[in-house]
Amino acid sequence: MRKTLSTTALILSGLLGVLGGPAQAQDVQAQRLYNQALAATCANCHGTNGVSVPDVTIPRINQLSESVMYERMMEYKSGKRMGTIMPQLAKGYTEEQLKIVASVLGKKN
Amino acid sequence: MNRRHFLGQSAAVAGLAFGLNGQASASSLKSAQIVVVGAGYGGATAAKYLRMMSNNTAQVTLIEPNPQFISCPLSNLVVGGSRKIGELTVPYAGLEKNHGVKMIKDMVASIDRQKKTVQLASGQTVKYDKLVLSPGIGLMMDRIEGLEAANKAGVTLQAWRAGPETTALHQQIAEMRDGGVYALSIPLAPYRCPPGPYERVCQVANYLKKNKPKSKVLVFDANQDVTSKGKLFKEAWAKLYPGIIQYMPEHNVTAIDAKTRTIKFEVQEDVKADVLNILPPMRAGDLIVKAGLADANARWSNVNFLNFEAVAAKDIHIIGDSIQVAPAMPKSGHMANQHAKVTAAAIIAELSGFAINPQPVLTNTCYSFVNETDVVHVASVHQYVTAEKTFKTVPGSGGLSPAPTALEGTYAWGWAKNIWADSLV
Repeated sequence: MRKTLSTTALILSGLLGVLGGPAQAQDVQAQRLYNQALAATCANCHGTNGVSVPDVTIPRINQLSESVMYERMMEYKSGKRMGTIMPQLAKGYTEEQLKIVASVLGKKN
Repeated sequence: MNRRHFLGQSAAVAGLAFGLNGQASASSLKSAQIVVVGAGYGGATAAKYLRMMSNNTAQVTLIEPNPQFISCPLSNLVVGGSRKIGELTVPYAGLEKNHGVKMIKDMVASIDRQKKTVQLASGQTVKYDKLVLSPGIGLMMDRIEGLEAANKAGVTLQAWRAGPETTALHQQIAEMRDGGVYALSIPLAPYRCPPGPYERVCQVANYLKKNKPKSKVLVFDANQDVTSKGKLFKEAWAKLYPGIIQYMPEHNVTAIDAKTRTIKFEVQEDVKADVLNILPPMRAGDLIVKAGLADANARWSNVNFLNFEAVAAKDIHIIGDSIQVAPAMPKSGHMANQHAKVTAAAIIAELSGFAINPQPVLTNTCYSFVNETDVVHVASVHQYVTAEKTFKTVPGSGGLSPAPTALEGTYAWGWAKNIWADSLV
């Protein structure tokens, strides 16, 4: 059993690029799943994984970097940036949630 | 050690580590049979995201009798004649080809909760470890005397599920004499798509104004007032369709006389009409009612909002219009898509032995056309409130359009194309 445990940990941490026990590895996997689910709340309008279908006027988000996406959403949340729906939606998310959304959907800097 | 054994063990280990009851070890992610019933906005999205969120390892079967998806959102444009039903139709092929969802074209006749199987109309039996039900709404035809018979005689129509009835309703309006009366009755909330009836009023009035200007639209609403976007709709009716629409709140339809095309009310006098678009009260899809899962007023299903598991049945998750909603949660296609994602993540988590996500989030966005091009929206964000075990809208968030615009009309089509792809492609 001890061997199984360490094998499990090794494989999972290998998959995730994280060193640690199985619980920690599972924790990271779970968090990644929930981050994905949170970002998926955007997909109805902006497309699965933030990739829109062609020829629509809804602003495309998948070319924004993680930091710019986060800034824009925070500006919608604070009322600094005008818009139709996003100012109303951004106010419903916490700052931490907007950070997660940007980390999942934004292009990495 | 084979792979299944390994996965089972790791799930069990994780269960212990998280202080769970180790259920995940019984049927791990890879071996579990996940069956989704109904391929509308809810079910199709659930099937796709169960595959995506499991890196295509979960085994997902989707059961749906219709050959293709037809969108209810935007279907009022077909009723009004400015769009064709083909523009709202999406094939199911993407779910199989792009995501490896196994599709069965059939109806679920019954559910055996003990054996954990569903029986199909064709006679086939399908086993499940996890069942996701997304059958949409059921129409309570027997709440209005004579409605079933009037429907059969072709006198009344609902067109509250998009498809042949949608085009049939447009046909009836197109064939109506100039000077005729189109009557729409709206049941007490909750019903599918709160702003839907009022958008339909706009679309029918728009058609009549252009084609049969002597005609009238009579709206009999069982509710005290317009249930969604009230100010915006009333402004649009007054500005765009003066003299055509007559809105009557607190009019509860009790009977239909098909022979004389007469609508009878609880309180008010009888009214005759040429086209009778009668919407009866609604409840969960028939399958849910038959399976004994409609435990809220015998109409809707109570669910645990962290994973949308039915309160009445373990391993059966219910999403979309069939659930007993949380406060201010509309029965909409957008919302069903959002239920599906929370549910998919929760099922993957459970089968992987992860702790459940304590903080799921839902949004809703709904666009209504006031004519062919101009649109108003309502939007909301729903956060899970642990102490109350329900979703609540966030104070200060969400809201309405200030007025109809053509820009939002283009957004409505963008929304439709992206949500169809998000659910089906």
